[in-house]
Amino acid sequence: MNLNLIIDALKNPNGFFVATPLSTLCAVFATMFFIFTVIYSLKHMQGRTGLWRYYIYLLATFIATLGIFFSTTFIVLLVLWGFLGLLLYLLIAFGRREGTPEAARKALVIVGGTDVLMLLGIILIWKLTAGSSGLSGLLFMRIDSAAGIPLSGTLSIVAYLSLASAAFAKAGAMPFHTWVPDTAENAPIPVTAYLPASLDKLLGIYFLARITLDVFQMTSYMNTILMALGSITIIAAVMMALVQHDMKRLLGYHAVSQVGYMVLGLGTGNPVGIAGALFHMFNHSIYKSCLFLSGGVAERKAGTSDLSKMGGLVKSIPLVFVTFLIASLAISGVPPMNGFASKWLIYQGVINSGGPLWVLWLIIAMFGSALTLASFMKLIHTVFLGQPSEGVKKVLSEKKKRVEFSTVIPIMVLSILCIGLGVFACKIPFAECFRPEVRGQLDLPGIWQSGLATLMIMTGLVIGYLIYLAGTIKKARTVAPFVGGETLEKNPEMRVSGVNFYKTVKDIGILKVIYRLADKKLFDLYEVSMKIVAGFGLVFSFMHNGLLSRYILWCLIGLVVICIVLI
Amino acid sequence: MTIESIVPLFVAIPLAGAFLITLLKRIKGIPDTLGVLASASAFALSIMFVLKMEMGQRVICNVGNWGGFQEVLGRIVGIQLVVDGFTVFMLVTVNLIAFLVAVYSMSYMTRYTEKWQFYSLFLLMLAGMNGVLITGDMFNLFVFVEIASLASYALVAFGTGKKELEASFKYAVMGGVASLLILMGVIFLYSNTGTLNMEDMTRILGSSENPVLIYLVFALFLAGFGLKAAIFPFHAWLPDAHPSAPAPISAMLSGVLIKALGVYTLVRVFYCVFGFPEKVSSIFMTLGALSMIIAVILALKQWDMKRLLAYHSISQIGYIILGFGIGSPLGILGGLLHLFNHSIFKSLLFLDAGSLEYATGTRNLKEMGGLSKRMPVTSWTTLAASMSIAGVPPFAGFWSKLIIILACIQMGLWFYAIIAVLASILTLASFMKVTRYAFLGEIRNKLRNILEVPAPMLIPMIILAIICIIGGVLLIPGVRQGFLGLAVEALSRARGV
Repeated sequence: MNLNLIIDALKNPNGFFVATPLSTLCAVFATMFFIFTVIYSLKHMQGRTGLWRYYIYLLATFIATLGIFFSTTFIVLLVLWGFLGLLLYLLIAFGRREGTPEAARKALVIVGGTDVLMLLGIILIWKLTAGSSGLSGLLFMRIDSAAGIPLSGTLSIVAYLSLASAAFAKAGAMPFHTWVPDTAENAPIPVTAYLPASLDKLLGIYFLARITLDVFQMTSYMNTILMALGSITIIAAVMMALVQHDMKRLLGYHAVSQVGYMVLGLGTGNPVGIAGALFHMFNHSIYKSCLFLSGGVAERKAGTSDLSKMGGLVKSIPLVFVTFLIASLAISGVPPMNGFASKWLIYQGVINSGGPLWVLWLIIAMFGSALTLASFMKLIHTVFLGQPSEGVKKVLSEKKKRVEFSTVIPIMVLSILCIGLGVFACKIPFAECFRPEVRGQLDLPGIWQSGLATLMIMTGLVIGYLIYLAGTIKKARTVAPFVGGETLEKNPEMRVSGVNFYKTVKDIGILKVIYRLADKKLFDLYEVSMKIVAGFGLVFSFMHNGLLSRYILWCLIGLVVICIVLI
Repeated sequence: MTIESIVPLFVAIPLAGAFLITLLKRIKGIPDTLGVLASASAFALSIMFVLKMEMGQRVICNVGNWGGFQEVLGRIVGIQLVVDGFTVFMLVTVNLIAFLVAVYSMSYMTRYTEKWQFYSLFLLMLAGMNGVLITGDMFNLFVFVEIASLASYALVAFGTGKKELEASFKYAVMGGVASLLILMGVIFLYSNTGTLNMEDMTRILGSSENPVLIYLVFALFLAGFGLKAAIFPFHAWLPDAHPSAPAPISAMLSGVLIKALGVYTLVRVFYCVFGFPEKVSSIFMTLGALSMIIAVILALKQWDMKRLLAYHSISQIGYIILGFGIGSPLGILGGLLHLFNHSIFKSLLFLDAGSLEYATGTRNLKEMGGLSKRMPVTSWTTLAASMSIAGVPPFAGFWSKLIIILACIQMGLWFYAIIAVLASILTLASFMKVTRYAFLGEIRNKLRNILEVPAPMLIPMIILAIICIIGGVLLIPGVRQGFLGLAVEALSRARGV
């Protein structure tokens, strides 16, 4: 190995970077999100200082992301991966909320901390496959050269778990998810839509797929662990989402919950499930950015993302309401949206997986979907429908301003994609697009004619509308809501907001305990480990009392111990 | 001019500078100029040395050739100066930092009176450190260690406040204990071998069966130099001493002094004289791992920025000692690279802390906030150094940690690898605290009108930050052979690997 090798490698990037169908597809999506984020930011980030840096970070993030998708060596991937963590930190810091600094710190500690685990995992792989090749062997170790490591020994299991934890942290799956809701709440909306909602999902799941399918040979034991983690992520995050008071935080929890489906799909280990997981990854990034970007418009109109201060925004921004509604239906897995198509594949994968617990995983996944729908009903009601709050009323009374073109384009395109990818799902050649991760024949046991179904749903809607036009419903009259004879509009404090729709869920038996523990952040790996470390810190600082005599005593003890060890 | 004749200049130039400054203190601007010039020329010489050194070369200089270098009973009596690859590596590191710190001090030290005393002591300390690095004589090593230490005691007390004096006193007492242990070790060694020349010692110790007494010498040196290096459990003086000094001196103390007087001497003595026995190797690794994890946990709860940095010095020295303790070529490479990187980023961090104190008047992180808008350069350089120390790719610190963990795993030392990983995560958490509390968020009203520090302070910080960012370049094969390779080769050969 010498300098010429590096120069050759730089001249011929095929050595370091190579394109596969899946990575190309990921890159196409990343490009799309990059363009949309920039367009959207033009309006949303207006009037802030240091914007040139913001756009440079966005661009650097984009380039690093492309590098990760195409990189063939572990070290290049790791370096870019770590660099992304830093960029995430810098981008979150553009937020202007009180919690922004803490969220930025937490995100970098979790993402950067797992980078070190990833480093450990890579070195372990080096030890397992090319242990004698020295430093240059590690620096130029190709990902495909490490194919097919059996997960039999402790070393390989530790290596897999280390790498997987980095992927989990990036994608936001449990137990490394806690930075996602915090970031969603405190970062600027375009940043959330760009990184945690789309690019980080693509990266995390892409990397997880690569190590799970390319590098290691999965065992049924490890597959079960993946499926269990996926299911827990789905259900726990959606339960947390149900009771949130902040629109952005609520969306953040859903971003975690949906990762569960992808992990579950990858865990099934059969082509259908894997194809579903990868398809869901793309779908998720589409509808989630659509949700965040549409939500951003609502936030800008209402001047807040606190749910109790929103409401009735549909009159002000009807177009955004439509896109938000479409994306909500997609994330809830309502046919014929794209979310349904990919979830359908994942369900089939779970059924096919045939493990002892497949029924359980299936039920959890479906139940999670239902809860997602419930949660979005609350969200749509409180943000767009219902009665406007004081603040929103003021906005409504002002002259109606058109939503800017730069805002409309991204959300329109994304919501059209939500429908399009769902309706034409059966036309997509998954086996071709997702090579090399999806191998073998894709046989779909459940036949889903998305075209036909769409047609039927459309027909149903049309018939419904006809009934509405023709039938007795037309005779309905609109009145202002009232309670006990008093009209609510005269008493603003009587406004019924949807914030507490599911508050009662907090009072049900065992859930009550779990929610209370969650409020104390007992399930937050970051907070818990910080507390543990602080405990150790107390012990150690007790020993550092600043007295000279004690310090000298230590030295003597140290000397004696060393003497004893040596002799 | 032959390459041998340069060697004594590493001590002579700073020493001469120190004395000239005391003579010419009345003339305005002389102390600054002389201080910068002396350290700059020492740095230039060290760079020249790197370029001239060849693989495996050892430059031996008999100072003045006054006699005494003729062999008496087969042994040399005079004091030899020996420069090998490891020495050159250390010379570059030490003199680079010294030069940048001297430039930084031109502005920073205007806060204090009697600038000439500062520069004079500073150059004396530099002369002592360079002396430690180039000497080939055991007792001479001790003398130079003392010169550097005495200068540093005075520098820690430079502020002459209550806290500074207390810290300096503690530091002096602990330093005195260390000196005593080292001197005892030297005495026992001399009584055993009958020579003070390191090369002769190696030969004599290698040729005969070692008596039990040699283990006492091991223990004395481990404790004595361990105190200078501040490895656990000999570290307790450091968190008091380093924050109390003026910021540029903290940068010198944490950046290079503990390495020149502690790590370098430990490695030099145990590798080159004693051939690094197995037991010492495991003691190195154990103490390194303990320092790493305990200090970083303590650092997490600090709010005084300089104190936090001081705890991290202990933790990072643990990495270096762990690397050297592994003893394989990779371990040595990792130790060396981390030593270099730590000098760079830790000095930078202390200089940043100095800038923050200069601008805001406080070192307490809780009283800062939102400073990134007012002090962009300081904010950026701190971020670069923090990322580097936390081992975030692609910054310099990442590569050295990578090699150290790699070396652990290559030798099958799983436990140490995991400790290194854990400490790295905690380091990241701790430095996120610094950048979060100092630079993010809303700026306080009190601090609304502060200004970025003047250019002489900014330039060294920017240079160091650039090295932090592109430090990985040192691993590119061509560069690696010329700089790190020399030192790795020298140490591997001494160990007989």
